[in-house]
Parts: sequence; C-alpha cells; structure tokens
Amino acid sequence: MFFLHNLERRVLLHPSYFGKNMTELVTTKLVKDVEGTCTGDYYIIAIMDTFDLSEGRILPGSGMAEFTVGYRAVVWRPFKGEVVDAICTSVNQHGFFSNAGPLSIFVSTHSIPTEIQYDANATPPQYTNHSDIVIEPGTHVRIKIMGLRTEVGEMFAIGKIDGDYLGCLQA
Amino acid sequence: MGKTKTIRLGNRLRYPITIVRLLKSPGDTVKKQDALMEYSFKWYKEVGDTIRGETWEEEQTTYADWSSPSDGTLNAWSIKEGQVIKQDGPCVLIDEDCSHEIQFQGLCAICGKDMTEANWAAETRDTERAPISMVHDQTNLTVSSTHAQKSERELQTRLLESRKLSLVVDLDQTVIQACIDPTVGEWMKDPTNPNYDSVKNVKTFQLDDGPHALVRKCWYYIKMRPGLEGFLKRISTMYELHVYTMGTRAYAQNVARVIDPEKKLFGNRVISRDENGNMYSKSLQRLFPVSTNMVVIIDDRSDVWPHNRPNLVKVTPYEFFKGIGDINASFLPKRQDLLTSAPSTNGVKKTEKPAEKSAKATAAGKDTDEVTKEQLEEQQSALEKQINERPLQLLQEKQDKEDEEAEKATGQSDDSASSRSSSPPPQRHKVLLDDDRELEFLEQHLTQLHKAYYASYDQKKTKRAIGEDVPDVGNLLNNLKAKVLRGHHIALSGVLPQNTDIYRSEIGQQITSFGARLRSTVSKEVTHLVVNTAQPGTAKLNAARRYPHIKIVGLEWLAQCFTEWTSVDETPYLYFKEDANNVGAARQGEDSSDDSDEDMEGVDTGNNAPKTPQPKRNKLQLQLPPRGDDDDDADDVEDGLLPDEVEEGQMSPIDGLKTFNWGSAEDELAEFLASGSDDDDDDDEDMDEEDEEDDEDFAPPEDSSSSSSSEESSASRKRSRSRSGSPATRKRKLEDDGDGEEDGQEDEDEENSPAKRIRRMKSARGSSLRHQYEAAPDLPTPAVTGDEDGVEDKAEEDGNNFTDLDEEALAADLEAEFAADLEAEFDMPPVGGYGAVQYKRNLPAHGLFRPRNLVLASAGLMVYGWYQLVVGVREMNEMAREKMWARIHLIPMLQAECDRDLVRRHLADQAREKELLGENFKVYNSDRYVRPTFAAVPQHVTK
Repeated sequence: MFFLHNLERRVLLHPSYFGKNMTELVTTKLVKDVEGTCTGDYYIIAIMDTFDLSEGRILPGSGMAEFTVGYRAVVWRPFKGEVVDAICTSVNQHGFFSNAGPLSIFVSTHSIPTEIQYDANATPPQYTNHSDIVIEPGTHVRIKIMGLRTEVGEMFAIGKIDGDYLGCLQA
Repeated sequence: MGKTKTIRLGNRLRYPITIVRLLKSPGDTVKKQDALMEYSFKWYKEVGDTIRGETWEEEQTTYADWSSPSDGTLNAWSIKEGQVIKQDGPCVLIDEDCSHEIQFQGLCAICGKDMTEANWAAETRDTERAPISMVHDQTNLTVSSTHAQKSERELQTRLLESRKLSLVVDLDQTVIQACIDPTVGEWMKDPTNPNYDSVKNVKTFQLDDGPHALVRKCWYYIKMRPGLEGFLKRISTMYELHVYTMGTRAYAQNVARVIDPEKKLFGNRVISRDENGNMYSKSLQRLFPVSTNMVVIIDDRSDVWPHNRPNLVKVTPYEFFKGIGDINASFLPKRQDLLTSAPSTNGVKKTEKPAEKSAKATAAGKDTDEVTKEQLEEQQSALEKQINERPLQLLQEKQDKEDEEAEKATGQSDDSASSRSSSPPPQRHKVLLDDDRELEFLEQHLTQLHKAYYASYDQKKTKRAIGEDVPDVGNLLNNLKAKVLRGHHIALSGVLPQNTDIYRSEIGQQITSFGARLRSTVSKEVTHLVVNTAQPGTAKLNAARRYPHIKIVGLEWLAQCFTEWTSVDETPYLYFKEDANNVGAARQGEDSSDDSDEDMEGVDTGNNAPKTPQPKRNKLQLQLPPRGDDDDDADDVEDGLLPDEVEEGQMSPIDGLKTFNWGSAEDELAEFLASGSDDDDDDDEDMDEEDEEDDEDFAPPEDSSSSSSSEESSASRKRSRSRSGSPATRKRKLEDDGDGEEDGQEDEDEENSPAKRIRRMKSARGSSLRHQYEAAPDLPTPAVTGDEDGVEDKAEEDGNNFTDLDEEALAADLEAEFAADLEAEFDMPPVGGYGAVQYKRNLPAHGLFRPRNLVLASAGLMVYGWYQLVVGVREMNEMAREKMWARIHLIPMLQAECDRDLVRRHLADQAREKELLGENFKVYNSDRYVRPTFAAVPQHVTK
C-alpha cells in the first residue's frame, strides 16, 4: 500500500559545497540518497517536498555540515494479503520468481492453480494450462502476498495466484 | 494439505519422565508452542547448610509442560497418561498444516511463514527442513530432500518419455574460448591482417563486472569451437543441455546468448560460479541432488569434478587464442593433464599462481573468505595483464619474425616449424588456427552413449516399471570407454615427474579408464611406450627398443585415442621415425648402449645426414651442451660411455695440452709467486731493514722494543721464535733471498742520512743478538722458558730503565729525524717504545701509620661501635617496658575520671530533660544502661 509519510533525515554536506545554493544542494543530496531505498519496512518511492531545513552544524573533526531535513515522501509498504501486479522474471520446476517494483516475490507450485502446470520442454520453460494462460519470464501476473520477510535493506515475499481474479494478466 | 509427522519427545527432557496429563486430544488444533501434555520428573536437590558442609540430597518432583514444535492438527498420541518414559521416543502424530518443503530466503514458499524464527519448542530450526538448493539461477530457493526427490523423478520421467539424457556443458575451452585481449578486436577490423579470416567469426560482448577501473566495461571475444552450432543442434535432440561454468553469472548468460541466441538449447538452465557455492570444484549434486544416473558431463578438465568422474566425457581443451587458456580458471587448481609434448609457446602462466597460493593459504588455515578475496583480486590482475600486455600481439610479432627468418633460410624452415608445434601449420604467417575437429568425435561419442543407454533401458523396461531403477549412464560410459584401449599395456616415459604415482595421476587415470593397463616399467607385456617428445626419458626408451613389438609413440597418439575413442593407427605418431629410416640397417648389429647414444644425438642436434658412426660420436662429444636429463638411469648410461671415448683417444678434449707451451706457463707461475713474496717484503720493508734476519709478520713491536732495551728485545725475540714454530723453518729460504735483495738495495742507497746510520747500528746489534740466540739454540720448551725469562728480566731491571732512557736521550736528534721519517708513512708506536708501567703504590711501610697499626685501629673502632649499639638497644627495650607498666598502673585512675565525667553529663542531661519536658521517660525498651552520646561543639560555631 502506498502512503504519504513524513520523515526526517540528517544530510551531510561537504565543505566544498558551502555557498549560496546550499539548501538546494541539500535537497538534491537527500533525493539522491533516499529515493529508491528500502528501510526494512517500506520502500521510499519518491520525495514529494522538503520542509523544515535546519541550520547547518559543522561537525568537529570532519568539517562536514550536518543538516536535519524534514521531508514528505511516498512510501510503499507491502502487506501480507495485499494484491500486487508483478512481472515474472524466472521460471523453474518449483515455482516462479516475479518482481513487483523493487520487491522480489516467489510463487511456488503449491500456490499455483492445479491446472497450470510446469512445462520444462517449452523454450523457455513456462507454466501453462495448455490453452490461454502462459507464465514465462516477462509475463504480467497478479499476485496475493502470503508472507513477508525483511532483511537489512531488502525485502522478500511469498505470493500465490490460486484465487479469484489472481494470475496471468494477459489472458 | 499437510502430512502427518511423527514428533519425538526430544533429547532435552530429564528422563525418566512420567506422563501426568494429556492436555490435547486427537482432532484438536494445535499451535506452535502450545502445551500439549504435562509430565513430571524426579531429581535430587542439594539441601542443608552449604557453609558448614552439612548437606544432603533430597528427591524433588517437578511438573512441566511439553509444547508443540509445529502447527497442525493432533492426529494421535503414542503415549498415555501415567506412562513412565525412559528415553527419547515418538510421542505424538501431528497433521502439519505445512511441511515447509520449499523455502525462499527464509520464508516458507507454501504457507508464507518466516522460517528463521527460533523458539524453545522445536529442537531444530525450520530452515533446516529445506537444505537443498537445486535451481540453476537462484541460491536462495531451497527445497527439502523429499521434494527434491519428487521433482527429480518428474524430470526423469520427462526425459525418458522424450528419450533424452541430461548433458552438462562446460563453456571455457570446451565449447568456446574466451579472451579479452584487445588485439583480437583490432584484427577483426583489419582485413589485411593475416588472422582476419580466423577471427572473422569471433563473437563479442561487453561486460562491466570487473571491480577495477581498467577491466570495467571490457570486451569479451568469444570464439566458438568449429562446428559448434550444428553439434549443439543435433545433440539437443538427444540431450537436455545445461551450462555449468566457473565464470560469473553475467558472463555465463552472455556466452549462452552468443552460442544459443534463441534460448532454444539451454533455456534458463545456466549455472555459474555465483550460484555454484564452491570456487574450486563443480558438483552434479548441485543440480541433480538425488540421482545422476542420466547425466553426462562434457568438460575439458576432470579435476574440477571430483565426485562425478564416471559421468564425465573429457574433451581436449580448445586453444584458439594461443597462450590465453581459460580466463575463468584462476580459482581452479593448476591443470596437470595437458597432453601436449611441446612446451607452450607463450609463457602466460597466470592460471598457476593463484591456485598455488590458494593451496598454500588453505594449508596455513587461512579464512576461506580471505582466500576468495585474494583470488578475486588475482583474477582481476590477470585480466588486466591480458589487456595490457596483449599476449596475442606479442605472439603474432614473434611469428612474423620467425617467418622472416624462415624465408631467409628456406632450408631450415622445416626444422623450426616442426619444433614449434607438433603439426605443421598450413599457413605460416598466422597465429590463430581454426583446425579443431574435436566436436565431430564428441558428437559420435555422445550419440553412441545415448544409443547404448536407451538400448539398455529398453532391455530393462521389459522387466520393470517406468521410473524404477534406470540404468546408470556412468557405468555405460565406463564400459564404452574401457573397450577403446583394451589389451593395450602402456608405459610412460618423460611424461610425469619422477616421484609421482602414475596410477593416481591424471593421465594414468585416463589411460586406465580407457581400458588400457598402465605399466610403471618396460617389460615384455608392454605394447606401447608413450614418450614426451620434448624431453624423452632415455632409460625406458632404451629398454623399449630391446623389444621390437613395443611401439614408441608420442603423447599426441594418446591424446588422439582419447579424442577419437579408438585405438588410432600409431604410424603418424611413431617416435624416431626418421631415425629408423636413416640409420636403420647400420644400427642393427650394435649393442643397446650404442643405440641410445644414437638416439640422443638424433633428438638433440637434429642432424639427419647419414654418416659413419665414429665421427658422429666425436661430434656429439664436442657439441652436446650438458643435458638436463630427468632419468637417473640415463645418466649412468652416459657415464659408462665416457671412458671408452677417452681410451680410443681419437680426439680427447685434453689432447690439446700436448702442444701447450709449458715454459711460458712456468714463467708466469714463478712471476706470480714472486709477486706474492714481494708484497710481504713491502709491508715490513722499512723496519725489516734494521733486522734483516727477521721476516716475520709480527716484526714491528719487536723492533721498537729492541731499540729501547737489548735485553728485553732478546727475550721477546725468543718468545716470537717459539711462537712462530714451524713457519720459521719454512721461511728460512725466503729470508736468504730477502737478505740478498736488501744488501743490493743498501749498496745503492746514499749513506748521508742519520736514519740510515742508526739503522745500520741497530742491525748490527740485532744480528749480534741473533748470534747469541743461535749459540744456545736447544731450549727444551722454548715457549715456557722464554716467558719466564721475560718476566724475571723485567722485574730485575726496572731500575735499568732509566739508563736506557738516558741512552736514548743522547741520540735524540737522530731519533727525531728518524721518527719524522717514520711517521710520515706509518702510524707506529713512538720511537723508543712506550714508557714503563708504574705499578708500585706509595704506602708507608714503617712508622706510626704502617699497615698493621691501621688495621688494628680500625678493628678497635669497630668493636667499640658494636658494643655501643648493643648497650643502646638494651636501654631502649627497658624504656619501652617501663612505659608500658606505667600505663597499666595509670589506667584505673583514668577510667574513673572518664566515668565521673559521664555520670556528670548524664545527670545534667536528665535535669535538662526534666526542665524541658517536665518528666523523665525512657526511649529504650530496656533497663540497660545506654551511654549518652554527646559531642562537644566548638565555641566559635555557637557564637
């Protein structure tokens, strides 16, 4: 699910950047540092705007200036039970991998409807029901997230496509 | 959905236990960590006073819950209430909701639960339920062994239905060769380059997987083995193809795209170093964890498949870019199975170093991570080196140079060509040759194997059901290979280092795997002797020549046999073919040692012109450089030959000495010796002129002493004589010579200098002394007597020193001149020697302060002091005793005073209290007297 989230971050600025357009530089650096990262619970998709840019404080020892910036960002937090659209990346006999944006989701054969079977002889290998549904790398799939696990800067999910309105989107 | 799992009690309980109550009954839903039953156990507790050591053990009974290690529905109990259980055993059957058989990055792929959570109820972590990673392109997807078996069985049935087998294909040097030398790119753009035709079909791609700046975004040049496309197309009808390479993932995928652009052959069945999980070896179990019965491998190295050798079809390494080798082999051990006799033309040995290093590092017990890191760096530097040094360009330049030379001297061109490579190149001016035919044979073998497999399968199928006990392709492969060289007995010569176990060596194992018998020595049974044509060992060669039936062939024959899987015709590979033609009949009559001689000549000088044996041998003696022969026996043979040569005396190497000019040599020698003695003279010349008889090296100090005192000098001379011992006699002759010389010299000198005069004076004195010495020559032990004499002399004649000094003062002017003369050149002791040492002290021996009196006085003083000390200590002790007793007697009086003061204060206190409160009351609950506490407050505070 997407949220608009108020966040805060300390940005360090190198002394060589001290000058007139420092606030601009701080914002740019913030965007560069933060956008597209995963904090563990959610992905920061985009920064809307910044507010409350603190005064810079010179850090003794390094000479870097530290700014505390409050900003508003669009974040995406996948939830268990959430339905997402993903693109299949790799298929094997145990299931298939897909990516919903930055999130890698694995769907196992147990969570694929029984009529959709693995076909190893096809090139490339695919999951198919031998009529209209073909899941191969590149296919768009609608997946319900069954489980989530987070590691430092990474998230993994398990999904399923046996359910109403789930599965291959190109059919 | 789930399946029934038997759950055991576990080892952590304190057996024996008694089941008290079953909390859940069959049919109940249980959750992880729910209490399922209650049990009790008895144990002994130590009670009592631990400090005094009065403890005893008391039996205690404790009740505890037993919790469920997994989710599901309780199926049945294997235990009942009141039962006493002695040891771990099955406890309950639970229908599990999910058996977590497929896991992705710590998540169960079936139920979506987190598997990494640890809890007290389960003895093992849930991640251990799925330990096998069997997917090509992912390592974080793991499955349980039962699931692996299931999916493998599916694979097997699918393959059997389509009558296929699995074929694991190695990339580097098996089906392709990669290189990153930018020279290739330049050649590809330049149609005038001689290698243009060869590199026309080289495919390229760009990769930025190098961490270093230089290797980033470098071009990879991929040369496919000739006929690869057709080979793969045809083979893919019989085999399902997998790629298994030691390159990185990106590299593997790019190469797969090059050789299979439509992804029809390999699909996504590509596994690389990144997913392999092992830097040093490949394993079929990574892809086929259960059964490898239907898997065939083609690879150019057998040592990377330590556990899957039976399934391996070894391929001759493809070497198109000469000297480059395998760009991804930095991690692998050095290859030892090269079947080429000629030493590699290009010395790029980058693959060897890191492997050796790794071996060392692992031996030293280093961290494997560290080693891997080091090797990564090593590989990077190797790649950089390839880009920078451009080995191919160097090679081509070298080749061009050789060509030029060859054109100049066309007669020698055959020689250089044959020595450079085993097969003469069709076009001289080209480095890259595209004449590999390996794949044709490989296709034949694989087809043959496929046929054999399904023949055997069909035979079995009639008896058994599908999927059960399929034939093992490894056995079939072994049978096929074992037919190839059956009946051959092969001995090796010059192929392996001397101390290696030939049966365990790579070549040895290969030979035996092809059905031939390996022999360590040459005997009657041996049918083939395989020699390294670059450096053949002579001993076995000689032995083999005794048997006419033994075929002596080069290593190339063996390689060809391994490639073609037939016992190929030996004729093109026969060793010393031309020798046999040339010398043939002449050699028949001669014995074997002569034979060997001829052979060596044939190899080393390459001289094929027919000559009579005699002059040829002479030539050999003169021309042969010392050979580094690795066979000890061979050396023996040669040694045995040498004396014969000399006896025949046709042209012995030392014959030349007969005409040598001995006279001039002697002159030279004499001159050399004379110069040595001259040097000695020069050292001491100025001093020795005074004492002509004295030629010894330690002359200078003696000389000075002799000038100061005749007696002393005589004594010291005696000493020096005795010290010099035998050298003195040896030098006698030289002294005579020196005398003569010096005499002559002195005649030439002018006589006006005072130094000269005094010198002569001294020499006269010295010679007289010498006469004295020689008058009494037979001292029994010269050393001891000499020394004693010296000491005594000195002691007696202390007084005489003054007279000597006076004498010196008389000749002072002369001496000064002489000293100036001397010091101009030498840094010697002062003229007249050092002054006598003053060793006496001025102590009065008589009178009041004579030593005896002094000693007595100091002794008396000391005795008095000690006496005073003892008296003082006694007095101190007495005083201390007195003080102690005085106090003891005073104490009652002091105490009484203190008590009176206390009572007074107490009464005053009471009075004050009464005045303030009107009444006295006790704060304490007893009649015991409590001393009032008071503090004296300083006056100035209250003020």
